[in-house]
Order: sequence, then C-alpha cells, then structure tokens
Amino acid sequence: MSAWGFVFLAYGIVWFALLVYLGNVIRRFRKVESELSSLRSSGGLKKNA
Amino acid sequence: MELLKQTLWMLWKDLLLELRRRESILAMFFFGTLLLFVFHFAFEIPTEKAAEMAPGLLWLAFLFTGTLGLTQLFQAERENHCLDALLLSPMDRASLYLAKVFFNLFLMLLVELIVFPLFWVLFNLAFWNLLPSLFLVAFLGTIGFCVLGTLFSAVTLKARARELLLPLILFPLMIPVILATVRGMEIILRTGKFTEALPWLRLLIGFDVIFFTVGFLIFEWVIEA
Amino acid sequence: MAGTMQKRGRARRVTGILALAFILVGLYFALIGAPPDAYQGEVQRIMYVHIPSILTAYLSFFIVFIGSCLFLWKREKRDDILARSAAEIGVLFTSLTIIEGSIWGKPTWGVWWTWDARLTLTAILLLIFVGYLMLRSLIEDENRGAVCSAVVGVIGFLDIPLIHMSVYWWRTLHQPPSILRPDKMPWENVHPSMLIALAVNFAAFILLYFYLLSLRFRVGEMEEEVKTLKLYGGAS
Repeated sequence: MSAWGFVFLAYGIVWFALLVYLGNVIRRFRKVESELSSLRSSGGLKKNA
Repeated sequence: MELLKQTLWMLWKDLLLELRRRESILAMFFFGTLLLFVFHFAFEIPTEKAAEMAPGLLWLAFLFTGTLGLTQLFQAERENHCLDALLLSPMDRASLYLAKVFFNLFLMLLVELIVFPLFWVLFNLAFWNLLPSLFLVAFLGTIGFCVLGTLFSAVTLKARARELLLPLILFPLMIPVILATVRGMEIILRTGKFTEALPWLRLLIGFDVIFFTVGFLIFEWVIEA
Repeated sequence: MAGTMQKRGRARRVTGILALAFILVGLYFALIGAPPDAYQGEVQRIMYVHIPSILTAYLSFFIVFIGSCLFLWKREKRDDILARSAAEIGVLFTSLTIIEGSIWGKPTWGVWWTWDARLTLTAILLLIFVGYLMLRSLIEDENRGAVCSAVVGVIGFLDIPLIHMSVYWWRTLHQPPSILRPDKMPWENVHPSMLIALAVNFAAFILLYFYLLSLRFRVGEMEEEVKTLKLYGGAS
C-alpha cells in the first residue's frame, strides 16, 4: 500500500468512526427528547396527585 | 487503638475459620502448584533459560492464585447477611478492609513460601542463596496485589460475572506491580545483587503506600453501596 | 431553569459549528497545506490526527477522574453522568489512537504492532476505560454501579503515572535505543505549516470532543429525567 493509502486509511477510519458515534448520539438525543416531552405532557398532571 | 483492635479481631476470626476448614489455602496452594506443572508443559524451558523465565512464571502463578483467593475473600460475609450485620454494628469499615488485606496477604505469603522452593526444585535451579531477596521482592508485590485486590473484590462483590470482572479490572491496574516485581526478581537473579533492583523496589513501595492509603479511605464507600 | 438549558444548547451548537470549521481547515492543512516530512514522507500526516487523539483521550480520562471524585464526594447524579459520558467518548478516542498508531507504524516500522511505551500505555488506558464501562453494565443496582465505577475511575487515574513510569523504564532498559526510536518526534525540520496543521487539528479535536461530550451529557441527563418521571410521575 502506498504512503497515501495509509494516510487515507487512517483518516477514513477516524472520521467514519466519529461520524458513526455522532449519529448514534444524535439519534439517542432525539429519541429521549421525544420520550421526555411526551412524558411531560401526559404525566405532568398526575405527577403531584 | 480501637481500629487496630477491631482489625485484629476480624483477622483472628478469618484465620480461625480458615484453620478449621482450610478451604481457601488448600485450593490456592494446589492451584499454584498445578500452574507450575502446566507451565512446564506449555513452555519449553531448557535449564539455561529457567532462571530467566522464573520470575515471570512465578509471578503469573501468584497472580492467578491470588485472584482465586480474592474471589473467596468476602465469601463468609456474603452468607447469611453477615455483611449487613457487620455494617449495622458500629464497627469502623476500614478495619474490615485492613483485616481482609492482611488475611489475603497471609494466605498468599503461605502459598509463596511453598511454591518458591518448589519451583526451584521442579525446574532444577541453583541460586538457593538468592531466594530470600527474591522473596522480599515478591512480598512487596504481594502487598500491592492484596491492597488493590481487596478493594476491587469488594467493588465487584455484587456484580454479575464476578470471576471474570475482577481480573479484568484489577490486572491492568496491577501492571506497575507486575513489571516491578518481575524485573526486580530478574535483576537479582541475573546480577546476584540487590542494589540494581532498587528503582523497581522503590516503585513497588510507592505503589503499596499510595494504594493502601487510597483503599483505606475509599473502602467505606464501596462496602456501603 | 429553561434559560440555562437554552444557553447550554446554544453554546453546544456554537461549539459544534466551530468544531466543523476547524475540522475542515485542519483537514486542508493536514493533507495539502503541510509538506511531507523529510524522513517519514506522507505517512507522517497521520500524526495530525494521532497526537490530538491521544491528548483528547487523556483529557477524557481526566474528566472521568474529576467526575468520579465529585460523585464519590457529593453523590450528585450529574457528576456520575459526566464521568460515564467521558468514559464512553474516551473509549472511542483511545481506540482511534491505537488504530492510528498502528496504521502509522506499519509503513514506518514495518509492523502493525509493537510493544513500545506509547502504544502499550494507550492500550492499558483503553483496558481501564473498558473495565469502567463493563463494571457499570454488570452491576444491576444503579447507585452501586455508579459508586463502584467511580472507584475504578479514581484509582485508574491515580495509577496512570505509576503505569507510565513502569512501562517507560521497562522499555528503555530493555530495548537498545538505536534503530527503532518510535518515541522520537521529528522536530528537526519543522516547517511552520506543519505546526499550524497540528495546532488547527488539535483545536478541532478538542472542540469536537466538547461538542460530543455536551451532547452525550445532555442525553444522559434527559434519560435520567425520563427514568425519574416514569418512576414517580407515570400513569395511574
């Protein structure tokens, strides 16, 4: 493998992994955000019952 | 010296139990010896190389034997809610830590006292005169192992896959001890002199002091969790 | 309360945008702007991600330590979430560091792995991080899991200097410091644009790290809130 091959391999893996993780966190963020808002709107009235 | 009294009392209890049932000590001793046998089959050890490989093999055997002792360490307290009872009493938590450290140390030292000469015999080594210095290095390393090991034995007490988790967490943290002990022993075997191994020994002593203090302070939180 | 949340969200977004900017500029400098190294050639460009990665990994570990100490002291859930988030991201950056180091090593030393001090230390760091996360997942009681992993976080960090010392002594006492000098940085012929590349990429990684950390932290906070609501506020 040429020198540039190694460079692109390294950079490729790094940014791919970081993007995958970022996507993962954002997905989790959206999921918990919607869960939280639905819980707040539906369960809020009963919370202090 | 209330702390000391409580520690000695707890230690005495463990020693008495062990004296009567001899569970841990026998298991540890046989396991340690068994490992030596397995090493003989797993590694081709010609007599010239035996002295070179001795520290590493010995320390490996002690590590695994010690881990065996650690997983058993709080066994008596786990049964019949003994631990809860102990925590309910006004006993200083640190004395439980001290007692367990000394108990495991005692067991491991007993095993080492026997396995060291046994190794020498099985692998036809000379340098019998170096054994005391080697044992001193192993002693310092064993202290480091017991100090951190007891803490993590308590940490993993209620975890699943405990027997796997304990070594997984403990061994990376033990690397300074492993390196220092094995290199120290190697230097003594190679040069016959104590002085060249001193840097490693200082590292060992530093490790022991630091983590004995940390363990002593932190144990209370761990055992009450 | 809502005001701080909004401020934090805005700060996070700004960090994210800055991170993206620095990443792009950094990529330009790393791959085009900086010249190839006199000795290592193009392969040296990997250093522009490798050095920031390793520093970010150590930063992460430090944050795990701080979070763990604070949690053990004050027992506030927030500190535990911080430690947990930093550990997760730390595993990511540490693994990347090892992979980058390995890829750099193959053309430079001819091997994918060597037990030199730096790689060995990074591998040990990864093991400690992984131990932290595994302990967490294997303890069923939430609170106990938090306390126990905090202990690992604290002791792991305190052990690092000792591990560092012992590994370096071991490697320098046993390897002839002749042919292979992997710890030596080629600072002799440093072109200014190489320094710029390093600095920009370093800033990029730090910004990206804090962006990821704040995102992950917020996720942790919200998950905690969901749990509390379900426990105490839920359906009748």
